[in-house]
Amino acid sequence: MDIRFSAAEEAFRADARAWLEANVPRGPRPAGVDLRERRDYDLAWQRRMFEGGWAGVSWPREFGGRGASLMEQVIWYEEYARAGAPEITTTFVGLNHAGPTLIACGSEEQKAYHLPRILRGDVVWCQGFSEPNAGSDLASLQTRAVFDGAELVVSGQKIWTSFGNVAEFQELLVRTDPEAPRHRGISWVICAMDSPGIDIRPITTLTGDQHFCEVFYDEVRIPLRNVVGQLHDGWRVAMATLGFERGTAFLSEQIRLARRLEDLAALARSVPGPRAGRAIDDDEIGRRLALARAEVAALRAMTYRSVSLAVRTGVPGAEASIIRLFFSELVQRIDLLALDILGPAAVERCEGSPAARWADSYLAGLSQTIGGGTKDIQRNIIGDRVLGLPR
Amino acid sequence: MDLTLSSEQESIREAVRGVLGARLSARRAQGGVAAERGLDLALWREAAALGWLGLALPEAAGGAGYGLPEEMILFVELGRSLAPGPWLGTVLATHAFVGVPALRDELADVVAGARCVAVVDDPVDAVGEGSRLTGAAQGIADGGAADVFLVLGRQRVRCVPAGASGVHVATRESLDPTRRLADVTFEDAPAELLPADAVPLRRAAMVLVAAEALGIAERTLEGSVAYAKTRHQFGRPIGAFQAVKHRCADMAVRAEVARSIVTFAAVALRDAEPEAPRHVHEAKVLATSAALANAHDNVQNHGGMGFTWEADAHLYLKRAWMLEHSFGTRTAHLEALAAPWRAG
Repeated sequence: MDIRFSAAEEAFRADARAWLEANVPRGPRPAGVDLRERRDYDLAWQRRMFEGGWAGVSWPREFGGRGASLMEQVIWYEEYARAGAPEITTTFVGLNHAGPTLIACGSEEQKAYHLPRILRGDVVWCQGFSEPNAGSDLASLQTRAVFDGAELVVSGQKIWTSFGNVAEFQELLVRTDPEAPRHRGISWVICAMDSPGIDIRPITTLTGDQHFCEVFYDEVRIPLRNVVGQLHDGWRVAMATLGFERGTAFLSEQIRLARRLEDLAALARSVPGPRAGRAIDDDEIGRRLALARAEVAALRAMTYRSVSLAVRTGVPGAEASIIRLFFSELVQRIDLLALDILGPAAVERCEGSPAARWADSYLAGLSQTIGGGTKDIQRNIIGDRVLGLPR
Repeated sequence: MDLTLSSEQESIREAVRGVLGARLSARRAQGGVAAERGLDLALWREAAALGWLGLALPEAAGGAGYGLPEEMILFVELGRSLAPGPWLGTVLATHAFVGVPALRDELADVVAGARCVAVVDDPVDAVGEGSRLTGAAQGIADGGAADVFLVLGRQRVRCVPAGASGVHVATRESLDPTRRLADVTFEDAPAELLPADAVPLRRAAMVLVAAEALGIAERTLEGSVAYAKTRHQFGRPIGAFQAVKHRCADMAVRAEVARSIVTFAAVALRDAEPEAPRHVHEAKVLATSAALANAHDNVQNHGGMGFTWEADAHLYLKRAWMLEHSFGTRTAHLEALAAPWRAG
């Protein structure tokens, strides 16, 4: 047992830190409603990482990645968050899901065309998995694809497609065999978002943000060569990397959470408490802050434990679902604590004020226990796959 | 960075688990959960012979040459099996006695299982700070089984033979039928002042209590899962119902939280990492919380059987409460964690 990193890993850390210090964009990330600005900013940053040799740290070298070990990835994402580097949002699906899926299951032609474009920051990918009637029960998806010569003709609807209106490509799950058992008749296809017949409509979330889209498909023609993996085998293709969806990149979110908690403690030292004195002097608030920090420390230890288990066994462990559930609920506890600390300021909207930022964060955090598998689904996964309970 | 057990550590765990499983299941079947002194003498001697009491002692001092993480592994197993006995005080005594020439024989006796030690946690020096002790120390875990008391003052560490003049020990029951308490009164009792510092010893104690709590969190999770797989109602195993399954999932989360932070704290303390003291408080808070909540849910998951004396479920919950009140409650540790943040 050891909680220190090796000399080689520390050297890697020094390289990463030096490069990030010199290259992380100084200007603020566009936060406005125009997603094009966010996209351009993210892609410019991606290109910069590519030129610096830091694009796709977890991708194998033969596909242009850094080929970093699991521990090096841990270090990279820690340094990435510490340097205040941009959160990965518009480029997330390409780098952390579609790209790794192509690496695992794509044809030589698919890999040669798409992987360099993702790494270089030429394109944005989005996800087309969920449907209005296929959320937690994803395998019940109904968007259908019929064969017409060398093409699939796709009709149906997808939903919760983040950044769908600024993406070039989509990883799309369609039902290619309606007769087969529901997990067997699905195919994973690459869909060009400028194809005729696609209609994209933004959805306004409860925060007022518009990064989610509904996507409608009206006889959209997709070449059969865009099928990734075997035809009708899309469920397995999608699951091949779903477990890695967050992977080591998750470390950055944790570091950001730790930093936000420090900010919250500073806030609690500066605002009045529910009775006399500062908020942080209140017994309950002080203890809740201390407990949250203990839980953030535990989260980091859990991640280190999970990664060291994966290093040892060569496969990601089932405890990833435990970490995911714990993280999502911890984020919400911290946001809730922030609103309690703020008192009446929590409901007064002064744009740009710290209070408004915490209120926005609290609202945005409600999605933590919904997206990527609701907390109920996460508990099912833990019960079924980690504990082996009967279904 | 590696928070997994090495193969050597795994074999320590398996060896300890094997012995405790063989000894303690039989004891429980006989109905008597704790012997009169609060000590299972045969088990104690076997543990000593197997080297459990000197895991972290240097080999030159008659120990196994390991460290706090290996002691943590032992205490997880002690918690899992609800082992009775003054394990904590005895193991802490080896930390405190090592390197003191006058105590060489005493240390050898402790490691050999011939001398049992109970620990008196006295961070406010209620029994004094010098080499004569006066005052009352109440609710000392396993005090009745002790040949020696190890007194951790604010800074100073002293040891007093239980049979010394001016030492009065009155044993009593506790909430936990497997752990007896003692009220110890010192009346100008002669104590030996040790060179050890109470602060690091107290931190080691917190980690070991947290480890015992982790064992309870793990064992109750496993018990609930096993029961939920076999107990049928409405024609299905109850573990298939989400209400039960999700409660088990929450138990698994708590156990994983506890396992990770306790392991991290043990290694950080061994390596004298600057953040170690903070993580020790965090480990104590999270591990006892996990033990209490999991033991509580484990009673619930067993339904009517969980409410009986015959089932083990209540024993884990009661032990969890003993651990909550050993070396600082959650509230005390959260206050300790909040204090520097309030000042900062």
